[in-house]
Amino acid sequence: MPNALAIESRSLSKSYGCLLAVDALDLSVAQGSFFGLLGRNGSGKTTTLHMLSTLVRPSAGQAWVGGYEVVRQPVAVRRAIGVVFQESALDRTLTVVENLRFAGALAGLSRRIARQRGEELLTLFDLTEKCHAPVSTLSGGLRRAVDIARGVLHRPRILILDEPTIGLDVINRRQIWRFLQRLRTEEGSTLMLSTHYMDEVEGCDEVVFMKGGKTIGQGRPAALVSGVASFILEIETETPALSTQELTPRFGEPLAEEGRLQFRILDRDFALSHLPAHLKHITRGIHLRRADLNDVYLWLNRPGA
Amino acid sequence: MWRAIKAMIMRDLTRMVRQRGRLVSAMVRPLIWLFVIGSGFDALLSAAGTPNYRQSLVPGLLSMVMLFGALLASLSMVYDKESGVMRMLIVAPFPRYVIILARTASATMVGLTQALMLILILLPLGYLADTHNVGLLVGALVCTALLCASVGTLIAVFSKALDDFAVVMNFFIFPMYFLSGALYPIGQLPGVLKALVLINPFSYGVDLMKHALAARASPPFGAEFALYQDLLVLVGFSALALSIACYRFSQAPVFETLARMLSHRRGGF
Repeated sequence: MPNALAIESRSLSKSYGCLLAVDALDLSVAQGSFFGLLGRNGSGKTTTLHMLSTLVRPSAGQAWVGGYEVVRQPVAVRRAIGVVFQESALDRTLTVVENLRFAGALAGLSRRIARQRGEELLTLFDLTEKCHAPVSTLSGGLRRAVDIARGVLHRPRILILDEPTIGLDVINRRQIWRFLQRLRTEEGSTLMLSTHYMDEVEGCDEVVFMKGGKTIGQGRPAALVSGVASFILEIETETPALSTQELTPRFGEPLAEEGRLQFRILDRDFALSHLPAHLKHITRGIHLRRADLNDVYLWLNRPGA
Repeated sequence: MWRAIKAMIMRDLTRMVRQRGRLVSAMVRPLIWLFVIGSGFDALLSAAGTPNYRQSLVPGLLSMVMLFGALLASLSMVYDKESGVMRMLIVAPFPRYVIILARTASATMVGLTQALMLILILLPLGYLADTHNVGLLVGALVCTALLCASVGTLIAVFSKALDDFAVVMNFFIFPMYFLSGALYPIGQLPGVLKALVLINPFSYGVDLMKHALAARASPPFGAEFALYQDLLVLVGFSALALSIACYRFSQAPVFETLARMLSHRRGGF
């Protein structure tokens, strides 16, 4: 790898027959950073993570993870990374401690080191009391926490998480995010995750939006948001064509869905009072709110984008 | 890497011990063969002047226990996707063929454990009285269990619909068992059947067991191939099967299919 990046890819592509799952992806992930991969189902996130974790061989292009090339040095790459899948990678019949011991042995750790690291992680994740419970008895959130502990037991420099909170409720999702934040602070790991929950990547150093295997947006979340809009003007109306006709010349084409129009406003000093007064006669409601990553996602994924 | 292999084997054996019911039920099939079917044919054949049929079933039944035990164990363990353990294995820092080797070793041990349990049942009943060379018996058990586990592994890496145990039973296990000399001597079989027996590697495991357990059996129930022939086929076929399995499992498309199967909640890319 040419420099000290944790992950880098150049024109990384993967095709399955005639389907191009990932199309010439260029990534640069700095060491110690928190990197988010965003996109709908089928956008190529998981295939990308699979190529980076040596599970899938790229059809074209190259990628380096932890300084090693994924095709030529797969074992070295796997030694440098920890992977957390969408589905649990734990043996449900074994206890928490037995699972961590097994994972430690697979990574080549001695029993003593695996136990010591396991204890540290269980303390970090507030799981000490559950250490002798069979994994099958834990809640979804705790099981996921143990799975993450399993993924970082061998102190990987890079942790790759594929939709780590999918299928979890809000409380458990928050719990997992606390664990991941602690990991970053205390272990200094590079985190790369895929998700389609926008709120989860607001704390990312950088995010990449993917669509049809391609990058459609990349940058710091704040920069991406300000690049799309300062505000979003939401208009509820029974006559969308009329409102669109009225506002499009000034704000551009809106996002439309069933009587609700969203216009993006780039002007940072915009206020509702700047709108024409007669607009309220042809609408049911007018709302102005700050743009966020959800809007970036929606605008990048809008039909015809 | 050795630490990982040891951990994989220990975990599989722990699982086997925790599933004691399955171990005990594995003893039922050979005992039915021995005491029900064996007794029936023993009476028939004794009346026709060929005694000791029931005794002659012992090498074949010990082999059968390993065929079912080790083959099904390696088959189910290689694609052990439900337990989540395979997810841990595919991202572990060692070459992929190590997974195949460790799982085959575990399956061999599962087969051996079941054979030892049957030996413990048959020993006090006097069915192993003709065994003088314990070393040969141990060698025969290990080689046969390894062969069965390797065949299971080979089937597993080539099969997509692995959940279908009925298919494996009907297309592999039963033909291998019935066409092996486990139930009858192969000397007098008609041409086509004999040819099938000769190309079935399991026949050589059964024959090696006959060398170990029925060295002094009266014709036609003794071993029918040379000792070196049996060993050569068993070791050679196991090595070949494992090499092919390791090679195939390391191939990108096979592994990618497994990775996709293991990591998607709802399919897609």
